[in-house]
Amino acid sequence: MPTFPQLRSITPTALLALLLLTSVNIAHAQDPPPAAPGVSYDEAEAQAIDGMLMCPVCPAETIDQAQVPLARQMRAIVRQKLSEGQTREEILDYFAGRYGQSVIGAPPKSGINLVAWVLPPVAVLAALLVGALSLRSMTRHRRTVPEHPARPAPLTENSGDLGPYLDIVDRHLETPAEGEPNRG
Amino acid sequence: MADLGGISLWIALALSSYACIGSVLGRLRNHPALVESSRRAVYLVALALLIATLALVTAFINRDFSLVYVAAHSNLAMPNVYTWVAFYAGNEGSLLYIAFVLSVMSAIALRFSPGQLRDSLPYTAATLMLVQTFFLAVMAFMANPFDTLPIVPPDGQGINPLLTHFGMFFHPPALMAGLIGITLPMSFGLGSLIAGQTRDEWVDTGRVWGIVVWALLACGLLLGSWWAYTILGWGGFWFWDPVENAAFMPWLALTAFIHSIMVQRRRGMFRMWNMVLINVAFGLALYGMFMNRGGPVPSVHSFGASTLGWVFLLFLAVGTIVPFAVFFWRFNLMKSAQNLDSMLSREAAFLFNNLLLLGIAFVTLWGTVYPLISRAGAGDEITVARPFYDQVNGPLLLGLVLLMGIGPLIPWRRANLASLRRALLIPACAGLAVIALLVALGLRQPYALLGFGVCAMAASGIVIEWWRGTRSRRGSLGETYPLAFLRLLAANRPRYGGYIVHLAVVMVALGILGASFFDTQVDVVLSPGETVTVENYRMEYIRTSAVAFSDRTEFNSLVRVERDGRYLTDLEAKRSFYPSFNMASTRAAIRSTPVEDFYVVPSENLSDGAVGFRILVNPMIWWMWVAGPVMVLGTVIALWPQRVRQTAATRRPAPAPRGAEPSAA
Repeated sequence: MPTFPQLRSITPTALLALLLLTSVNIAHAQDPPPAAPGVSYDEAEAQAIDGMLMCPVCPAETIDQAQVPLARQMRAIVRQKLSEGQTREEILDYFAGRYGQSVIGAPPKSGINLVAWVLPPVAVLAALLVGALSLRSMTRHRRTVPEHPARPAPLTENSGDLGPYLDIVDRHLETPAEGEPNRG
Repeated sequence: MADLGGISLWIALALSSYACIGSVLGRLRNHPALVESSRRAVYLVALALLIATLALVTAFINRDFSLVYVAAHSNLAMPNVYTWVAFYAGNEGSLLYIAFVLSVMSAIALRFSPGQLRDSLPYTAATLMLVQTFFLAVMAFMANPFDTLPIVPPDGQGINPLLTHFGMFFHPPALMAGLIGITLPMSFGLGSLIAGQTRDEWVDTGRVWGIVVWALLACGLLLGSWWAYTILGWGGFWFWDPVENAAFMPWLALTAFIHSIMVQRRRGMFRMWNMVLINVAFGLALYGMFMNRGGPVPSVHSFGASTLGWVFLLFLAVGTIVPFAVFFWRFNLMKSAQNLDSMLSREAAFLFNNLLLLGIAFVTLWGTVYPLISRAGAGDEITVARPFYDQVNGPLLLGLVLLMGIGPLIPWRRANLASLRRALLIPACAGLAVIALLVALGLRQPYALLGFGVCAMAASGIVIEWWRGTRSRRGSLGETYPLAFLRLLAANRPRYGGYIVHLAVVMVALGILGASFFDTQVDVVLSPGETVTVENYRMEYIRTSAVAFSDRTEFNSLVRVERDGRYLTDLEAKRSFYPSFNMASTRAAIRSTPVEDFYVVPSENLSDGAVGFRILVNPMIWWMWVAGPVMVLGTVIALWPQRVRQTAATRRPAPAPRGAEPSAA
């Protein structure tokens, strides 16, 4: 296979030639070309793969986003390989073999890199658990200590002439009102 | 002009150092005059930086290319209106902008701080001015925007073409102001801690600044997404770029803070937790600034070739460690006033919302640092990008919207199961009904179904609250429905303003769901006269006209769009090439409706007149952009001073002592 970064651009007809020959340099760039006649592929799948591959020469962009010629060529290869009947995994492996694992936009879900995937949900669950436990200890603690509001109960709508009907509103809502006036 | 700017920068540096030292000494030695003079020095810092800012603006308007910064970020062809953007387009100018914003915010905060903070205010001022001094020193010694060139070039390099967009007038300044603005609530918290005022004195002020800064960040993020959508030419709006993440994380922590602070404001609980949250938010904001200026991860947003990386890394370390050190020093003083009544209460819901928000921030941070860990540990080059975040953060964000739907329906203190069931019944049914309807319409993606269900639940919960309040006002007061609704909003602004913001979040979620799960994307090359069909749209490419400007060539591609066989509209999508940057910038043509966007952007112009187009049909993304103004409206309502109540309070014959005030709870 040719080394694509060296190519400045390719045309749709040239793409087929490209896959046959080993190195060519052609006139001008083109977006992912329509697949060769008689060969079809799933464009949605192609776009999903585009979204998983990083453009090797752009900062933090997938080939779906990047506008450089290399990204266009990679998109074309994705479609070509799909129409040859390759699976998503095979295509990703192909690119990983060519550009290194860093071309894949997420760590592999295997080996040591499982940590990258497992740690976040574990950490979030642990945080929620710790939160729940500390809340429970806060409610337990309360049973032994009598309630002594060091802070005044909030001044609410029942001061002034708005009071009576806002009380009614609150009763209807069955939730006490939030907020207090600015103590300034 | 350059001299005036440079000198005022040095004056500002001297004044802010003085204010920092003076307020601490004055407070420790019990010297009120020194404290007062330091406070005035803070106002003067703002004045000096105003002069420096005006000096740079004048230099831009005069195209004074003897200044390195002006020569690098403008040229003669640049319209004057882009001075505003060019000002903060580079490293030095953005530092000046940040320092100026911080000085103005500090001056306002000190001027209008309530009397109860008198004891802690000198420490707050000192914290603010310490941060200010850092930025001024960096500018004065390492990145001076007023540096001059030995030989004045005839023309400048010009402004980065990606920045010449309406969104750029607000996105970077809002984000930078938001990031630096986190210093304010943090300083009020830290000042109280140092002064030993470990009760709730700082809470009101901290909350107001927290919400202001939160809204700035939210607007900055939304405008940035909008900018990406219309100009980056790939049809998306968010791609978990390291710097996007760096702005997103402090926003998450701040969201947690402005919720949690409500608990302390109302119940005197979560005192330590709120300190932790605001310190975390500040640390993450510093991290964001570090990533922006020479961070270790490549990004499209970096201020290129900045050599300030290590300075900001140091600042990040100090700025994270010091507030937490103070926190542990004062740890024992921060007992909560009250204990939790029940696990089934608004307070508990707030805590879980906080943990989820921090969880998302953690995942985002983890994704940013994992490649570094992997490289250092196993020597593997691993990328963590969009596919990872979509999979891990997607479900967490969904959980957050779910909690947003439930939380406001749970009463404070203690809920009983029966009332909770009654409060949740209709929203839950609404959510399930929407899911059932969508399944009947043929939707099958589980995440999308769940997402829409959760959105429906959150929105219906809010609408029911509004409806009940309005109805009961109408019933008991005889007000008409619109009047009753408006008075309901006015009567409890923090709450109903918050609900409006929640609705805006639902709108953003709708946009994200629509664009992530149901978009159609087609890349196609068309010669003039050729057509392409995308879903029920048919687009004909008519022609491209090239217009040459002194700094760029614009290629305007005209297309005609039909829907269901009927003429819909003509659109003109633009692609400009900037030879001096060797860079093309695109401007998508978008026909936007609440149902869906038809989006077309030229991705390349071929020599034979053919054009490569990317065409997208993005359902519901319109809601995301409309959410911005709604969010601002909600924030303004939530923060609007409660004038009604204040007059009611002053009209009371004898103001009762605070402890004796009646409670509605």
